[in-house]
This record gives sequence, C-alpha cells and structure tokens, in this order.
Amino acid sequence: MSPRFVAVAATTALLLGMATACSSGGTSADGGSGTIHVMVYGDATNKVEKQIVETFNKTSKVKVVLDTVPGADYQQKLQTVINTPQAPDVFFNWGGGSIQPFVKADLLLPLDGFIAQDPGLKDNFLPSVFNSAVVDGKPYGVPMRGTQPVLLFHNKKVLADAGITPPKTWDELVADAKALKAKGVTPIALGGADQWPTLMWFEYLYDRIAGPGLFQRALGGDPAAWAGEDSRAALAKLKELVDAGAFGTTYDSVKFTDGGSPALVAKGKAAFELMGSWYYSTQQDANPDFARTGLGYTGFPTVAGGKGDAADVVGNTNNFYSVLKKTKHPEAAAAFLKLMYSDEFVKAQLAIGNLPTTTNTANFLDTAASPEYSKYQYELVKAAPSFQLSWDQAYPPSAITPIHVAVQQFFNGKLDADGFIKAMQALSTS
Amino acid sequence: MTRAGRTGAGVTRPGFAWAAPAAVFFLLFAIVPLLLVAVLSFTSWDGITDPRFNGLDNWTGLAHDPVMLQSVGTTLLLTVLGVVTQTPISILLGVWAAGHQRNRAVLSAIYFVPLLLSATAVSVVWRAVLDPNFGVPSQAGWLFGDGNLLGTRAGAIGVLTFVGVWQFTPLHALIYQGGARAIPQVLYQAAAVDGAGTVRQFFHITLPQLRNTVITSMVLMVVGGLTTFDTVLILTQGGPGTDTTVSAYYMYQKAFKGFDFGAGSAIALVLVVVATLISLAVVRLSGYDRMRSSAEGL
Repeated sequence: MSPRFVAVAATTALLLGMATACSSGGTSADGGSGTIHVMVYGDATNKVEKQIVETFNKTSKVKVVLDTVPGADYQQKLQTVINTPQAPDVFFNWGGGSIQPFVKADLLLPLDGFIAQDPGLKDNFLPSVFNSAVVDGKPYGVPMRGTQPVLLFHNKKVLADAGITPPKTWDELVADAKALKAKGVTPIALGGADQWPTLMWFEYLYDRIAGPGLFQRALGGDPAAWAGEDSRAALAKLKELVDAGAFGTTYDSVKFTDGGSPALVAKGKAAFELMGSWYYSTQQDANPDFARTGLGYTGFPTVAGGKGDAADVVGNTNNFYSVLKKTKHPEAAAAFLKLMYSDEFVKAQLAIGNLPTTTNTANFLDTAASPEYSKYQYELVKAAPSFQLSWDQAYPPSAITPIHVAVQQFFNGKLDADGFIKAMQALSTS
Repeated sequence: MTRAGRTGAGVTRPGFAWAAPAAVFFLLFAIVPLLLVAVLSFTSWDGITDPRFNGLDNWTGLAHDPVMLQSVGTTLLLTVLGVVTQTPISILLGVWAAGHQRNRAVLSAIYFVPLLLSATAVSVVWRAVLDPNFGVPSQAGWLFGDGNLLGTRAGAIGVLTFVGVWQFTPLHALIYQGGARAIPQVLYQAAAVDGAGTVRQFFHITLPQLRNTVITSMVLMVVGGLTTFDTVLILTQGGPGTDTTVSAYYMYQKAFKGFDFGAGSAIALVLVVVATLISLAVVRLSGYDRMRSSAEGL
C-alpha cells in the first residue's frame, strides 16, 4: 500500500508535467489561420487586456486570442507549454530572471528588430523599467500593466500620537522605532511568514549603502560582491534594527497575503510597513476608511554615508509581454505590442488603479483612481536613477527558495552575516 | 490433489484475471511513473528543454545537501508525533463511539466534521485562529507567550502535529469504531460475570482484539505522515527557514519552484524508499504478515 501511495502522490505531478511537455502530437490549427495567442496572468486586470484585444482585432487581419490562466497556476502552466506546439505567441512575465531560462533555451525573440522599425517600442517607456526585461544586452519584453515600487507606508495617527514624523534618514527610523516601542506599539509590521516582505528590507538597504552596482555584480556571476564591506555594513544595520525590536517578536508568524500585517497597521497596532505600491488597494479593500484618511506613504529613508542614490527604488518594475521566436505572425505581434503605449491602454490601466510606465502616462494621471497617489508613484519611478527588480525575480527561479530561506534565517538569528553571505554566494546565476 | 484451485467446500478460488484491471491501473499509474521518475533522477531537466543525462549529479548533490537530510529528519519526526498523538485519542474515541450511549450518534457526527474539510481549508482556518495579533494567542498570553507559534521550529512542528490530530483523528476513530463493533459481545459478558470492570475489559479484551486494527491504522498514519504536504504548504511554507521543510515539500520546491525536476525526482525516490522500508518494518515487527485471514476457505 505505502509504496503505491507514495509513488502516486510523489510522481503523478511530475508525470503530468512530463506528459504535457512531451505531447508534441497536439494539433496547432491556429498556425496558419491568422490568429496569435496571448497568454496572461488571470486576475482583475484581465478587464483591460480584453479591451485592448478587442481594439486590436477591430483593425487587424490577424486576430489575437487572449488566454487567461488563473494566477496561482500561471508559472507552472507557462513552463509546461512554452516549448510545445501549444505555446502562446506572446506571453505575460516579470522580466529579469523569470524569462532568463527561456532566453537560454533560445525560445524568445529579441525585440531589436521590432524596435528598429518602431523606435517608440522602446522610447515610449521609462528606461529604468524597460531595462529590467533586457537579458544579455538584448530587450526581450515590452512593459504592460503597472509598476509596483516598494514604499514605506505608515499609520498617520500612530505617528502623530507618538509625536514623530515620517523618517527621512535611517537614523531617524531607528529613533522612531525606539520611541514607538516605548509607547507599546510595534514599530514596523512585517509579514515574515511570506518571506518576500522581509526581502524588501535587504533590497533597499543594500541599494542605499552599496548602490545598485553590488547586486548587479553578484547577479552577473561575481559572488565576491556579497563578501565586501558594503554588504556587511548593510547586514549590520539590518541586524541593529531587528535587535532593537523594531519588528516585534512574532513577525514570522504573520503573513501579508492573508491580511495579517496590513491589519496591524490599519488598526494602529503597528506604525510602519514596507510594501509594494499595491498596498494602497490592499488597504482600500480591507479597511476603506483607513486607506482614505489614515494611510501615509514615503520613500525609503536615506542612509548616511551610503553610495546609493536616495532616489533609487526597488520592487516590481512592471510586467512584460515577450514574444516567442517561432511565432508565425511576428508583424502582428509587433503591432499588438504598440498598443501598450497607446492612450487607450494608459487610461484603462489608470482607471483600475494600475500605473503604466509609459512616457504619456503623465498626461492622464488626473483620471487615475487616486490621482495624488498615482502622481507620487509616477514621479518617484520617473526620477529613479535605478529601479532594482526584486532579487527573487532578478535571479533565475532556482534561487527563489534559497533567497527566501536566507533572509528569514538572518532575521530570526539562525544565520549570522557570514552565513547569509555564504548562502547568497551559493546561488546559481544561470 | 493440491489445494490450489479448489477448496474443501468445492468453491473455486478467484483467478488472477479478477486482479487484472487493478494490476493494469497500478502499472500505469504507479509503476510506470515510478520508473520515469527513476530515469529523471539521473537527468538535469528544467521542464523546457530536453532532459540531459548528468549521471549521479543529483544524487551526490542531495547527499551533500544539509536541507535534504534535515527534511528526512523532520518528516520522520512529524510522522512519529502523528502516530503517538493520534493513536491513543482515536482508540478511545472509536471504542466509545462503538457503544450505545445517549447522544453518541450526534457527537460522533460532530467529531467527524474535520475529516470532511479539505486540508487547504483546514490550514487556512488554523492560520487565522493562531494569528499572534488577532487570533487566540493574543487573548491567551498565559498559554502562548508572545504567540510566535509558526515562527519557531518547536511551535511550527507543534502546530502541524496538532492540526494533524484535529483533522485525522476522526478517520482513525472510525476505523477503531468498526474494529470495536466486531468484537464478540460474549467476551464482555463473560468478563462481566467474572467481575471485570470497564477499565479491565478495555485493557484485557478490547485492546488485544483491536490489534489488527491498530496496525492498519498505523500504516495509514505512517504513509500519511511521510507524504505530509498540503498543511506544510499553507501553514508554514517549510519555514521558519527550513525548519518544517518536509521531504515532500522540499521535492515540490526543487521541482516546481526551482524548475529542477531532476533533483525533485531524486527526492521523490528517496521518499519512496524510506516509506517502503518503514511500512515493511511496521508489518514485520507487528507480525501482521503471519496473521491468517479469518475469512473461511481462503
């Protein structure tokens, strides 16, 4: 009984993956019949994608078919179909490491050709965003949807009660944390059980202290970057904040994804939370009154003596559309991509609260769901000399788990600076 | 005249053909995948390009991977904790439910509810209940301290064990209920005549008679424990750090999050071997393999 049980449980999934990957006998009837498939992450934003596809199909001979895959299954589905006849012509991704394996497998079309014919495919997007889908010097994606910089959010009332203002420098943040703790408030809410929120603190501190170069060097295959003085300085500062009790003691039992840490801030039990710009709509969903009147936001504080520009941001630069090399209608794909900087696209995204990263976005900011918030973000991203893609997305997928484990263990004291550096050095960059 | 083929009563023994559908099913969905996984474990495969043979790389990698060793330890620990906690509770509940007390049927139905819920739903609910700031721990500091249950190794393993008890005790209680009902009443009547009380009857009649049931239930628990996955995925995601990364979850991480299907397959094989050895051991040590079928004529 038991071998069968285990075998079934442990291997059906593997087999399914293989069956899908190997079933090359499927019919690809769409090849010559004048359609291209666009595969996207299935969620509320599909509303805009459907609209754009309709617009495109009105004038184009080659029709676009939109395939929405439920979000939780998107990565697995993409991975299993991308090298089969069922592969989409154009697909949604996160840029960086998320497309690197596909580039390595020579499945993607470099977009230089498209851009040579229409320079707008590059020039109409904010450069810091466009660059995060550049792999080995070649562009492989055009930004779509909205940008998600990470901001430092706070509860205005909690700060006022403690007599403090949003911190501009790291030292102020540490001082604020001590003041808040003395008042019995958890200074910083953190969904440590999700692990990626913890990672955001590393991303910003490394950028502020060492500048974007350190991470780029490491990602480029130079593990020595992790062992330098700047790296140790960043880790020491983080340790100092953790040890001061800034995150409380229970952060690893709290999740962001189930509303745990946002509730701490909304209910005044915690003062700050470092989170992607979707935080606003998260709070708007769960605590509309708080989002309207009580939620404040600033950029990440500066760090004295750091080499990084205080205007740098980190987060998800945007999502991207990439094109498969074997598409039968590259010209239709190119024409479809052009819609990603159209006025219609920008207005539709803003209307649902997303912030597109095109140069014409500024013209329509007044039509956004929350104009003030959208403007703040837009200026922040536009002015940023560097927009660091989240580490776990910049690295190839095999590094995701080791990165998450390392940041969590550094916070809870299981890894010291040497251990963390060793863990990061062991990551595979290709 | 051999015994094969015919029994004394003249009834033909069931032929092998009867087992054919099950055998084909087993071959197709258990043996073939197992062989494929065995082959995959000697390849490097990202799920996109063709698998490439890389010899023993995955295996030597695993042998030098501290997380792998730790995950086997954590899996065994959770399995043992599951058996030790669930067995006594489900025997007591099952034996009680086999009786004819008032309200028994109603209470049994209520006890059975956790089994009807999906492990995913169960995990989500317990996550909310155990939230340190808004759940039970925030109201019962004397018991839970700061409530960092899922943020420490001991706490997370405790929670996983507790949720396992909560969810699977009903199943095993049901098995024991069936076992207890099958014990001939004359044994109890004879014992009562001899003056044995309830407790004595339990230890001298019920427990020995439930021996086969205990083994059945334990094998199920061991297999369930070794393949624990869904509660880990939702309650702890293997964390904090790698503290609750059980082997099945580690396989998932390697194969489906890291797109390293070769290493994932190697872990799957390790699980198969460990599970086979353990259930063989349970059956051997308990003498289950020497027991005779009580069905007449077979």
